[in-house]
Amino acid sequence: MAKEKQQKKWFSLDLGSNKQTSANSCGCGKNEGGCGSHKPETTSRPDGYRQYFGQKMDRRDAFRKLTASLMVGAGAVSTSCSFIAGDESKEKAQIDWEEQFKGNYKLMTEDEKKATVDRLVRSYQLRTGKTLKMSSQDALDNVLYGYAFNISKCQGYMDCVNACVEENNQDRKSEMQYIRIHEMQDGKGFNFNEADDNYYHEVPAQGHFYMGTQCFHCDNPPCVDVCPVEATWREKDGLVVVDYDWCVGCRYCMAACPYDGRRFNWSKPEVPETEVNKDQHYLGNRMRKKGVVEKCTFCVQRSRAGKDPACVEACPTGARIFGNLLDPNSTIRWVLENKKVFRLKEDLGTEPKFWYFMD
Amino acid sequence: MGRFKVFKSLVRDSLDITTHGSKKYHFWMGFLTLVMLVGMYCYFLQLEEGLAITGMTDRVSWGLYIANFTFLVGVAAAAVMLVMPTYVLKDIDFKQAVLIGEGLAVAALIMCLAFVVADMGGPSRLWHMLPVIGVFNFPNSMLTWDVLVLNGYLFLNLSIPFYILFRHYQGKEANPKVYIPGALLSVFWAVAIHLVTAFLYQGLQARPFWNNALLGPRFLASAFAAGPALIILVLALIRKFTPFVIQDTTLKKIAMVVTVAAQINLIMLISELFKEFYAPTHHSESAYYLFFGLDGKTALLPWIWTAIALNVLATVILTFHKLRNNFNILFFACGMLFVGIWIEKGFGLIVPGFIPGPYGKIAEYTPTWVEIGVTLGIWAMGAFIFTLLAKTAIGIETKSLRYKGNAKA
Amino acid sequence: MSIGLCLALGLTSCKHKEGEYHSVVERIEAMSADYDSVTVSSTPFLGEIETLEVHVHGQRFLIPESKKQIKGFACTECHTGSLEDLPKRRKKKAHWDIKLEHADSHTMACTTCHNPDNMDQLTSLTGSQIDFDYSFRLCGQCHTQEYKDWSGGAHGKSLVGWAPPRASMTCVNCHNPHQPGFPTKWPVRFNSQVQKERE
Repeated sequence: MAKEKQQKKWFSLDLGSNKQTSANSCGCGKNEGGCGSHKPETTSRPDGYRQYFGQKMDRRDAFRKLTASLMVGAGAVSTSCSFIAGDESKEKAQIDWEEQFKGNYKLMTEDEKKATVDRLVRSYQLRTGKTLKMSSQDALDNVLYGYAFNISKCQGYMDCVNACVEENNQDRKSEMQYIRIHEMQDGKGFNFNEADDNYYHEVPAQGHFYMGTQCFHCDNPPCVDVCPVEATWREKDGLVVVDYDWCVGCRYCMAACPYDGRRFNWSKPEVPETEVNKDQHYLGNRMRKKGVVEKCTFCVQRSRAGKDPACVEACPTGARIFGNLLDPNSTIRWVLENKKVFRLKEDLGTEPKFWYFMD
Repeated sequence: MGRFKVFKSLVRDSLDITTHGSKKYHFWMGFLTLVMLVGMYCYFLQLEEGLAITGMTDRVSWGLYIANFTFLVGVAAAAVMLVMPTYVLKDIDFKQAVLIGEGLAVAALIMCLAFVVADMGGPSRLWHMLPVIGVFNFPNSMLTWDVLVLNGYLFLNLSIPFYILFRHYQGKEANPKVYIPGALLSVFWAVAIHLVTAFLYQGLQARPFWNNALLGPRFLASAFAAGPALIILVLALIRKFTPFVIQDTTLKKIAMVVTVAAQINLIMLISELFKEFYAPTHHSESAYYLFFGLDGKTALLPWIWTAIALNVLATVILTFHKLRNNFNILFFACGMLFVGIWIEKGFGLIVPGFIPGPYGKIAEYTPTWVEIGVTLGIWAMGAFIFTLLAKTAIGIETKSLRYKGNAKA
Repeated sequence: MSIGLCLALGLTSCKHKEGEYHSVVERIEAMSADYDSVTVSSTPFLGEIETLEVHVHGQRFLIPESKKQIKGFACTECHTGSLEDLPKRRKKKAHWDIKLEHADSHTMACTTCHNPDNMDQLTSLTGSQIDFDYSFRLCGQCHTQEYKDWSGGAHGKSLVGWAPPRASMTCVNCHNPHQPGFPTKWPVRFNSQVQKERE
């Protein structure tokens, strides 16, 4: 398994995020599509300081014990209240309690992931009476997502922004948007200072070109390094994701991002019930709470199923290209190998997986 | 067993002494309590509504809280300027001041932690940082370093004075062999807390305004100016309102420390200004925004120029022996320096780091009243804690507070 | 002791994970050397869409078939004779909606692309027949750069997703061949909050 070894090598250099739970079942979870190969489990040895400071198992065990003891207390409380509380509200309280004290998604086992996703689905059902589909699908093997943006094609229609907001259940009240389209003047180069990213006039405007920015899913993401609780990390398929339930809301990652890729829920996010996208992923577009950071995930709920992110699908000009960087026959690879590509602020060493090119 | 009894007695005596005092004392404590209550109400509003109730936005995602946090780490670190001469260099002139300095450090650190908690989007999830049950991204995240060093420093600054006071309370001398290693450690630790706090910002390649090598040293210089300046003011008040004796030479020596630090701070400021404005690059835009405004956005101008004026004036006054040795002028200069550095290192440092944004966009930041209320509440809490600590310490040091349970002592 | 510990950790910690790979491009090259396949497929998303495999510039991929999408195909159901036999009238009696805005009239006319003798086929510049399903060959005659980019995937859109097998839209899925340019229009949204923040 030379490939796996290689991948592991890469990740074990990563002091913080080597806890990639190797998928012992196939990564496809609920998804359709065959996946016959069940790879044997490769247990990653604890690395760096973790060899000395307890490992994940200890932590998880300790955590379990703690929750168990708390749960006993909660159980006692809830049984004593059972005269007044109905079954549903008891269940709701139980779910809220377990959710409050669950661990970091990154360190969860397959079963724990399933359990939290089931709880979230059930909780939504109890609160709204509606059912949603939530996935906990892991990264696919042999995949590293990449993105290319054609600045000579984008016309500034902002269909991508619309699609993104709707797909990802972003807060409507604060008009949160992951994507910004910068209207740049011809002949001024990439002058973001003079660009307008909030225009409202007929587009494309004479003498202008358009450049979209969003999270670039850096291969060396500064936001991940700075997070004090490892609530954000880079997945095996290159997606930089956030566990919204683990984030403490310190916003250090926002300060560390050179690309304005992150958004904060300053108040409780609001999405009209009828507009909620119910096809969700734990790391993607599920409903957020107030006080947590969120960001573009390349629509993890779509991309891990094999689809394009919503922005790519919505773009009427074909300016957005998405694909698997590891597949030598993919279109994204063709773009990288045949077009003159560049990335923003390459000198910062963040290694974005988001390239720009021109016709 | 015996020690525990003494401790119980100390707590009882301390409660006794801190709840009794002059009318002025009661008025002061009542006032602080009121401000704290207002702060708590504001914090309650913030918990209800979320941080949207503050002036912060995605563009300027840190504001008044983090600004005060940064400044107060400096104040806390400044205790080292008193600890080192007293415990390490054995300069007795500092001896009276050092307990006060350490008390101030404790209060400042508690305020720091309170400001960080106030800034959190999910304070109920803070247990995610605790060892064993949470995940601590150490050593990658500078914030985890900061949590470690701040809490360590808090522990040092609580334990050393506590040991000394505890011995004095029993009428015994403190054993230097016990506290000197701790004091030595705290000297290095103080430098560490402030350097680590500077690294918090300095390590971000995304923010050129912070990402410069001078930030750490400059933090230290300004801290060693503002912190001891505050200590001078506090000592002056203590001298006036309590029987605690503080020699003139003590104040003069601390003033010397303040002067040198303020001068170094000013030199570094000049170096920074030179770099930003002699050959301005794309990275100088934040500095332009701070000092001259950018695109007609000038919210920080009055503040920063006030700060510069205060700093320069105070440094000049302090530089002349004649002026510095006049206590009224000294106190005035220390006040100016304190305010000047609070502005410069508070939101004069934090806010411009975010402006202009990564894509050159400017959204200005103005704190809201809720934010200001929480901030004042935390400052009041700091003052409250410090008053409690100082009153007990002064009681013990002036020998009015003594353990009576043991006849031999 | 703790300082020593911090120092030790400081020395062992390294913010950047260079190690083996210097850049993401190198990493991609190394990791894709023995790429075989992925477990997802775009086939289920194609659903009702009928596709045909094409082979252009050494690339093999699927495109949606076109003929069934054309209303009233085959054309010969109406156009029984040659176009030249059609009476020249001022007023169009059919295809009112079609207005040719493709290059200028010196360069392009109906019969530049439509085969006047067999309306079920298109015609190349040299007069050979081109099936409607393969209309990209017609476009590729002039738009060579776009043709090349399209075949590689830099121009145009993928049909349903990134997962293999690759399925791309063909020229006429986005461009109206008679008016291939895109019109100007208003952006679909405006962010009033951002506006407020920046005031």
